[in-house]
Amino acid sequence: MSKFWRVFSHEYARHVLRKRFIFALVSMPLFISVIMAISIFSAVTQTNFSPIGYIDHSGFLANPIYPPETQGMLERTVKLIAYPDEASARQALEANKIQAYYVLATDYLETARADLVFVKEPDNEVQNQFITFLTTNILTNQPAAVRDRIASGNSITIQSLDGSQRMSESDWFNILVPILSGVLFFIVILTSGGYLLQAVVEEKENRTIEIVVTSVSPGQLMAGKIAGNISVGLTQLLVWILFLLVGILIGRNTIDWVQRIQIQPSYLVLMALTLLPTFVMIAALMAAIGSMVTEMREAQQISGLFTLPVMIPYWFTAAIMTNPNGPLAIGLSYFPLTAPVTLVLRAGFTQIPTGQLVINLLVLAAAAVVSVWLAARTFHMGMLNYGKRLSWRQVFGKSTPTL
Amino acid sequence: MPSVEVNHISKTFGSVRAVDDVSFVVNPGEIFGLLGPNGAGKTTTIRVLLDIFKPDAGSVSILGGAMTEAKKNLIGYLPEERGLYQDISLDRCLTYLASLKGLNPGEAHQRIGEYLERFDLASVRQKKVKELSKGMQQKAQLIVALVHQPDLIIIDEPFASLDPINTQMVKDLLLEQRSRGATILMSTHQMHQVEELADRFVLIDHGQAMLYGELETIRRDYSSNDLLVRATTPLPPLPGVIRTEPHNGAVKLSLAPEVSPQEILGMLVARGICVEQFEIAMPTLDEIFIRVVQGRKEDKA
Repeated sequence: MSKFWRVFSHEYARHVLRKRFIFALVSMPLFISVIMAISIFSAVTQTNFSPIGYIDHSGFLANPIYPPETQGMLERTVKLIAYPDEASARQALEANKIQAYYVLATDYLETARADLVFVKEPDNEVQNQFITFLTTNILTNQPAAVRDRIASGNSITIQSLDGSQRMSESDWFNILVPILSGVLFFIVILTSGGYLLQAVVEEKENRTIEIVVTSVSPGQLMAGKIAGNISVGLTQLLVWILFLLVGILIGRNTIDWVQRIQIQPSYLVLMALTLLPTFVMIAALMAAIGSMVTEMREAQQISGLFTLPVMIPYWFTAAIMTNPNGPLAIGLSYFPLTAPVTLVLRAGFTQIPTGQLVINLLVLAAAAVVSVWLAARTFHMGMLNYGKRLSWRQVFGKSTPTL
Repeated sequence: MPSVEVNHISKTFGSVRAVDDVSFVVNPGEIFGLLGPNGAGKTTTIRVLLDIFKPDAGSVSILGGAMTEAKKNLIGYLPEERGLYQDISLDRCLTYLASLKGLNPGEAHQRIGEYLERFDLASVRQKKVKELSKGMQQKAQLIVALVHQPDLIIIDEPFASLDPINTQMVKDLLLEQRSRGATILMSTHQMHQVEELADRFVLIDHGQAMLYGELETIRRDYSSNDLLVRATTPLPPLPGVIRTEPHNGAVKLSLAPEVSPQEILGMLVARGICVEQFEIAMPTLDEIFIRVVQGRKEDKA
């Protein structure tokens, strides 16, 4: 086994086999699951699904068609009870047998006038069920196709010319895909970058570096460290994606909108092409910072200078969503530190022109190469500077490394 | 072929000339001392010969040529700035560092096990390094330097912060390594340790080599016309003796330049004095060092 692989496996195993890492790996999806479960639970328990009454003075509901009864966790059918007059309905309301009642006027079919009487206003979901009930009964005599079309209402779908981008009211969750992908991206990059930062500073802090560089070449050492820590990040990403897929598979059977989640293969390819150079760039920058400073605390402070810009596109999410090919979105795509998240966001809402995309990815790749060069240079200059921080002038100055 | 050949190397950091035209040769199978006070340039010299620093001038040949990746596996190094990975078990730490010296996991495991037994560390091999005492960590670092049975061992201040028992253990270990055929370059400011172990040495001060050669030859060169005499009765005044002073239970006699030790011995025997010890008073390395450094200051003045 070459020394690169020895460094690689050491760096990988020292994080992945730690209890802390396994805990962080599992706790994230668990945390999200718990939050979702609490949200669903509170939504379900806060909605009042007790019966609704109605008094039909117009008489068109003489032979009503009731909706089929469902008792799912998220969607439950509200029982509808007909009353002959308002007095009996009011009595039932006061006795808490119903939560509200509708009074349909005698000229309801002409005026569509209906009064709702309640103590506490029913939720929209409940009111919508009654409206659907009315619509279904009004359209009883219409052909099934017309009835279904009117019942389903308007649905506007916006589609890009080549058909690769599609957005409609019912696909609202697809907006979340690029945003969540970016967040995932950000967390994973920073986690593996942080591990690398720790690995480099630690070797300086605990003085192992001198033994290590007299055993393995600095090039192999840095390459092994960067690859090892990137693999830690990728492991994290893969495990989370696995959790996500399991979540989608489970959700498909119970939650309607999960069935409509769409992720284009081209989007995944773009993610991969962006992810790799970004990983290398951030990892190398972290290695450079680690070589420059003497303590972990100082390293974390400086690393903020590079990690904060990665987040900047989130401050402009609305602007990027509304105008994904505007000057701001394009500008942020050209700057290596803001490009990763911007590209992932833009690709979720538009078709990025191929020429632009190629340049963006090339800039990102060039930034990765420069970062690796900077990391190697800083490492050479700073590895034996125990207790003494390298100055920015030394790092970017003309002088060559001592090694 | 010398194990190490250093030819006129110089190294400057900013305005400080850390090493200034230093040359020496370390022969195979010897213990060589790299001596000098703190800040003399010893560690910089070691880092240059290990290819951590490039020299500004001069050249270094190690195990027959320039440093290569393959040669790194033949060298054991105990740096002055010592350290181990703190957050992992001692066993994993040692196995990883041994693997970087080219040992496969099986070999590394076996040899580390032997050393841990010998150094009385076997019971703590699964403990995290940070939970070990300083002395235990020092011994573990020595294992890192020796576990791959290197041809050349370079140790910087090997006795720093060691108690007398561990100091003796390290000395025994170094002698054992020499008898195995390893070459040892030992850097220290503790001159008396070198007197016990080293065959030859170079003494560096302010980056410059002040003395270089065989220990006994240099001590003889710096010895003056003094004798150490221990007798059962007090010594009478002797002609040709300029001064007498007590010295570790014996008496140190400073002779006039024209008087030889044989003449003094003859006088003692003639006077019926029972002599228990009679030797030429050789200067210690500490004394030689002080004389060299003072001489240098006087030259500068």
